[in-house]
Amino acid sequence: MTDETKKFSGIIQKSLKPGAIEAWEDRGGCIWAALRQGDLVPACKACMANGAIFDSGFVSSRPGGAFEVSYLFRVPAMGRMLILRAKGKEFAALSATVNAALWDERKMQDLTGLKLTGIPDSRPLIFHPESGMPDKHPVGGKALVRQKNDDYVIKGTGVEGEFELAVGPVHAGIIEPGHFRFHILGEQINKLETRMFYLHRGVEKSVEGKAAIEILPVIEQISGDESVANGVAYCHAVERACGLKVPERAEYIRAILMELERIYSHLSDLGGMPTDVGFTMSASRFAVLREDMMRLNRKVTGSRFLRGMCVVGGVSDDMTKEKLSIITSTLTDFENRLAHVERFTLESSTYLNRIFSTGAVPQKAAADLALVGPVARACGVSCDLRRALPYSAYPDAGFRESTEKTGDVLARFLVKLAEVKESVRLVNWLASHMPSGKLQCGPAVAESEEPERAGAGWAEAPRGGCAFLVELSEDGKIRRLACRTASFRNWRGAENLVPGDIVPDFPLINKSFNMSYAGTDL
Amino acid sequence: MLETLKLAFEYFPDRVSEKSPDPAVREVALLLKQRPMSLFSRSIHVRMVDAGSPNDVELEEQLMMAPRVDAERFGVHFVASPRHADVLIVTGPVTQNMRVALIKSYEAMAEPRAVVAAGDGACTGWPFKGSYALAGDGRVESAVPVDVKVPGNPPDPYELLAGILKAGMIIDQKRKGKSK
Repeated sequence: MTDETKKFSGIIQKSLKPGAIEAWEDRGGCIWAALRQGDLVPACKACMANGAIFDSGFVSSRPGGAFEVSYLFRVPAMGRMLILRAKGKEFAALSATVNAALWDERKMQDLTGLKLTGIPDSRPLIFHPESGMPDKHPVGGKALVRQKNDDYVIKGTGVEGEFELAVGPVHAGIIEPGHFRFHILGEQINKLETRMFYLHRGVEKSVEGKAAIEILPVIEQISGDESVANGVAYCHAVERACGLKVPERAEYIRAILMELERIYSHLSDLGGMPTDVGFTMSASRFAVLREDMMRLNRKVTGSRFLRGMCVVGGVSDDMTKEKLSIITSTLTDFENRLAHVERFTLESSTYLNRIFSTGAVPQKAAADLALVGPVARACGVSCDLRRALPYSAYPDAGFRESTEKTGDVLARFLVKLAEVKESVRLVNWLASHMPSGKLQCGPAVAESEEPERAGAGWAEAPRGGCAFLVELSEDGKIRRLACRTASFRNWRGAENLVPGDIVPDFPLINKSFNMSYAGTDL
Repeated sequence: MLETLKLAFEYFPDRVSEKSPDPAVREVALLLKQRPMSLFSRSIHVRMVDAGSPNDVELEEQLMMAPRVDAERFGVHFVASPRHADVLIVTGPVTQNMRVALIKSYEAMAEPRAVVAAGDGACTGWPFKGSYALAGDGRVESAVPVDVKVPGNPPDPYELLAGILKAGMIIDQKRKGKSK
């Protein structure tokens, strides 16, 4: 245990009742702290008062109808992920005081049937009563009892003259489904409520009981353009749970794949923002760059979405010298073309006028809602996991984080542009420093005597950090997988920060946040 | 001047020929030969409904409309409402929460209409088959009648385009059958 860890645990212990922390264990790059049931929420608050950043909340079932609730925190002081867990049958809601945890806890309630006391909003989140609900809760198998009057009520602000504007779930563009309910006074938005989970496919449940090494195709279906990042985060979780040591070459290849993914994914946002203000010339140019990058992906990995490369214990295919030289030469050409498109786009005064000061996110709100990714970085919150909790080959590559101050659409545009350039630099660096060695470590997930194997994994996906919690049974099968993507965090940001803007700005703001609906809904 | 010319070539769409090394491009070329373009008719208006895909097919659909593939030059056009559409592209697997929205979208379409199921999830329910959150087995077929299936994880823009052109031919047949 490092000095910082000891110091932090001391501070937390002091602010709690004696004996509140039952165990404090440093394992696999994370701190696992087991707490008494009643001390979980005070401990979370004590951690947050000492600089820990709320990441996510998960729940899993335990024998005898009990549940284990885990809250994940990023602790910059320790450079670690902190996982606070408690077992029991009744829990108090953290979201009563920590606004950021609201969706996590509503999801917990839906998954398990637990009633968290003091939760500010007890409506169902992932189930839509009007579309039919399953007979039992997916985690723990408690029977699902429907409330008598379980219509999903969306309330306005109550201002006189306000009317409702309902949008979705099927939208006009080529995008995913979600329902937006605007409460508007003329053009101005007073309140926005989003209703998601139309794409809830039961990812977490459908992998239970399957071998940990076989479910990567499912993980890659969480969100299309974050396939690699989610895959790597999941693999790290399993590898940490089993204590596997991944060869260096595999980690370098994974990092290259993650950066290639970031490039094409960011290009789609960079093109999306001009599209939504009607600046088609710029949008088309970004789209051409994206198509060319996806053709490069297919050339080097066989999949336009880089799927099937990442496996537990390493990577499935090698990056030969020829492939690396194809990548670097394409990227050199790409950089020049990107510079041209960038100049063309940012020289347009009408475009700048439209995106400047639109949808500004105050830094305080970003911190309160625990926003992640380029959205948070655009308002000066440094949260890139490649720097904060280094993983894969990033500690070697000397990653530079890009942040802006203003938090508006322009800032998000500039952050994403800077990240694409940084990704190009990283890929070139990784390609030229590629170590030799094996692609996979020995037997991937062996059986183990250890009854409870759990691991946490994270990665900085194009949209922001994602987190996975994996529990394995003795025979290397998944007992519980819990996943939180960046979009799940950031949707509440859009919901809370759009009020005050006007309706025609919403598509633009939404696009600049660029959240994955499927990644939220799982 | 030279700069402008260079740019024009850089953003030029792909050549679609029957000799292309890509089988999907060859298929599109063949379909275009069987169902030639005409000046004032035969365009295909498409509406998409994402009923459960992880956004990958949507990204490919966006690229299908972008300058490289540029489906608009073959008369394929995405419209905002199912009421304006000839063809419905559905991606899947169909979730319980999206089932009603999908059926309503289909019912809003005017006859003759055709449905394309795009992606492995839409065609087979893979990989969530049996999940509590899917509508039945997750196949689009179980919710609305499907005319063309385009498998793939996900299908690339040319495969999608070929699927839409096939749906166009099916609509032609349906129209002929009606007028008789």
